[in-house]
Amino acid sequence: MKDNKLLEFKNLVTEFHTEGNTIKAVNDISFCLNKGETIGIVGESGSGKSVTSLSAMRLIPNPPGIISGGEIIFHERTGRSIDLLKISEEEMRKFRGNDIAMIFQEPMTSLNPVFTCGDQVMEAIMLHQKLNKSKAEILTLELFEKVQLPDPKRIFSTYPHQISGGQKQRVMIAMAMSCQPSVLIADEPTTALDVTVQKTILELMQQLQAQNDMGIMFITHDLGVIAELADKVVVMYKGKIVEQGSVLEIFKNPKHPYTKGLLACRPPLDIRYKFLPTVSDFMNIDKDGEILDNGISVEDFTKNLAITKKERTENLEILFSKKPVLEIKNLKTWFPIKGGFFGKVSSHVKAVNDVSFDVYPGETLGLVGESGCGKTTIGRSIIRLEEATSGNIIYKGKDVCSMNADELRVFRKEVQIIFQDPYSSLNPRMTIGNAIMEPMQVHGILEDDIKRKLKVEELLLKVNLDPLHFNRYPHEFSGGQRQRIGIARALAVNPKFIICDESVSALDVSVQAQVLNLLNELKKEFELTYIFISHDLSVVKYMSDRMVVMQQGEIEEMGDADQIYNNPETEYTRKLIEAIPEGKIEDIEKHHKKKLSIK
Amino acid sequence: MILYISKKIIYSFFVLLGTITLIFFLFNVLPGDPARMMLDKHEDSNQLELIKQKYGFDKPIYLQYFLYLNDVSPFSLHHNNDNSFTSLSSGKYQFYHLFNLSDYKIVFKIPYLRESFVRTNVSVFSILIETFKNTFILAITSISIALILGLFLGIISALYKDSFLDQFILFNSVLGMSLPSFFASILVAWFFGFLLHDYTGLNMTGSLYEVDDFGQGSYIQIKNLILPAFTLGIRPLSVIIQLCRNSLLEVLSLDFVRTAKAKGLGDMKVIFKHALTNSLNPVVTAVSGWFASMLAGAVFVEYIFAWNGIGKEIVDGLNKMDLPIVMGSVLMISIVFIIINILVDLIYVWLDPRIRLN
Repeated sequence: MKDNKLLEFKNLVTEFHTEGNTIKAVNDISFCLNKGETIGIVGESGSGKSVTSLSAMRLIPNPPGIISGGEIIFHERTGRSIDLLKISEEEMRKFRGNDIAMIFQEPMTSLNPVFTCGDQVMEAIMLHQKLNKSKAEILTLELFEKVQLPDPKRIFSTYPHQISGGQKQRVMIAMAMSCQPSVLIADEPTTALDVTVQKTILELMQQLQAQNDMGIMFITHDLGVIAELADKVVVMYKGKIVEQGSVLEIFKNPKHPYTKGLLACRPPLDIRYKFLPTVSDFMNIDKDGEILDNGISVEDFTKNLAITKKERTENLEILFSKKPVLEIKNLKTWFPIKGGFFGKVSSHVKAVNDVSFDVYPGETLGLVGESGCGKTTIGRSIIRLEEATSGNIIYKGKDVCSMNADELRVFRKEVQIIFQDPYSSLNPRMTIGNAIMEPMQVHGILEDDIKRKLKVEELLLKVNLDPLHFNRYPHEFSGGQRQRIGIARALAVNPKFIICDESVSALDVSVQAQVLNLLNELKKEFELTYIFISHDLSVVKYMSDRMVVMQQGEIEEMGDADQIYNNPETEYTRKLIEAIPEGKIEDIEKHHKKKLSIK
Repeated sequence: MILYISKKIIYSFFVLLGTITLIFFLFNVLPGDPARMMLDKHEDSNQLELIKQKYGFDKPIYLQYFLYLNDVSPFSLHHNNDNSFTSLSSGKYQFYHLFNLSDYKIVFKIPYLRESFVRTNVSVFSILIETFKNTFILAITSISIALILGLFLGIISALYKDSFLDQFILFNSVLGMSLPSFFASILVAWFFGFLLHDYTGLNMTGSLYEVDDFGQGSYIQIKNLILPAFTLGIRPLSVIIQLCRNSLLEVLSLDFVRTAKAKGLGDMKVIFKHALTNSLNPVVTAVSGWFASMLAGAVFVEYIFAWNGIGKEIVDGLNKMDLPIVMGSVLMISIVFIIINILVDLIYVWLDPRIRLN
């Protein structure tokens, strides 16, 4: 067993120094990665999982970061063991990309936009294997073949922006694999990708691992993703490892309250809960910031949470007996492609192509599909941020497309949108209080700013934020908090109808559960109607009464959310559902048997 | 690409037409009668009449406008009558005869910018070619100094961010940016050309070609280029340093730089190959703008150093109401701007494959 060790972390401490403050991003962690093994490192953003991986590469930006203690011991194939923290920068460079390779989260920005994909992979090969250009090119093409890129020759000479996100991640994997590393560090490699693409990338990584007997450190915030991939799991919270063990152990019998919370807060696919359990339901934090177990097990907590079938059918009957509040008839939103000498429109991108559906008052309608399927364009067309090419959008009997300026203003007060990215949809130079107040001023709600400010404070309380934060700026808040600010801003004008456009996609699963619960509470309290847009079928299924599955601008399937999940009618929907990593114990066991049989 | 360039060229034709129209009417509503100014004290009615006829001042203004357009255009109509204003026999045009159209000849010619009012019988075209050459040499020298030095200092400044060196470079670049060129010229000329003349051997003033002491012809004086080029380069240098520094710092924090480091590349390669190529866009924008405006004449610098360039020529022309010179210069400058704009667009595409010309 001893010769199997590959990368050992011993009491690693990585600190960040900011103006008089020292933050221990990684605080005294120890674990070991063996040959041919996959370790999943799980935790929410800020838990130190990325810092751990960057420490292993010695790529911590300095200043402000510094590795202040511990050892990272790398066992070479030759049997030699080296502490990576003790060698010089120049020696370290020989390991980077050669023995230890890394794949990053954002395939969109991790490749240099001005060099071709082939060039960037060749660069690593030429550097470490000291090969000439033509040999490196042959090797690169072989690698592209290996990572199953279509038409490797073409990809070789394309620039990153010309290929899809999944393909870019394959190029990144090819680059990481180029020198047959013994350790592969994957930092959320599939978070930015669609589920179906995620599935293929994960399969590819497993294949490559089996071929090279490589050790993989897989970093993610979602336990489901690593369930079928990892052998061991390391759970991190605030820079510390709170629990580690084999996957089966962790999933069957989580000991630490935080792990319990992480496991429980993912929207379940087979049952419906009244609300989602969150991490804080399982733990108490004492005044020193230590986590204490409150003794509640996941089973106990979720026992009485489920909504029965009967309750649901009764609810739906009441819902659908009313007249629809929004009717969309044959909506087409096409974007012109201009070409030719006089900029004539030569063709169209049919983002939304002949889509019809109704939304009933009090309903949550889910719109689901992969990136580029047109779900966001529908949302934007409804509130006329994008002009529809043809078709009707009828809200309370009036066609939105033919509304005049006054009618449109009233309409926009009633229909609000919550955007995807909580980081960029708030103006960084505006205090959050003013940001929430602005739509009230625009729509002339309440007489003066004093009253409006009171209302804003009330709204902040409603979305579980401190009203005293009125004068703070967006950068002082976390992603989840910012999304709450976005929700408060939408609520400020007393809307009746809210479009949630990927509103939780940028958030960690643990935060996602809180925001989803908040959305459902607010819906009840203010009698809202939602259109819930997301690429994540499990979230959409949990949230919505009915679900619309979209593909390439058209509706693939529409109907009761549970029914679609249980009996998908089309091939595409089935594929989407199958690709969701559920993290069920049976699946993990199956995966383990498969892996053992390969060995 | 070719479609884009041809589109641009056709658009620029309209830009030029607009420019010509604007300057023509602008200068024709200016007070003062050029014919009288030319005659000065020797005015008599006969001569006045002759001059007016020669320059076409006797014709109504719209006709003058079309005649000017006809002269400037590379394709033009010319009446067969020898006494006509557009007659080809006057010897003022360099043309290639294409075909006849009733009483008119259609020709292809070098645009005729008329003659200077002040320097009689000297064509504006030849004056502009001469002065533009001087300005071009001055501009290209100073922009090269600014670019090379600016990139170098900018990179150093970014790499040693917040160090003493960085602060020192930044302080000086702010100083350089806030120094008006007329003041900088005087300062530089006085300090290097006068106080330190014994050591530098440079003159306070002088153009690229100087007439020798015996008046026997001109000879080239490269050393006269040094001071004006340096002075002219101070402000773009300062701007380039700051742009290069800021944009490099921004790019260095991007994900693909981390990828490059994770590959095991050395610092030099990461900075020069991966980061710098991505941070050049703002620098290109600034350099092209500065270069174009330098070509349009660095009036103060040329004036103070007595550099015989286009900026000096325009000011002289305005002083003496030498309208053909002024109009010709403006036209020339517009063409320079258009060419530089097209070139810059091409450089963008070359630097960044994501940019599509459209």
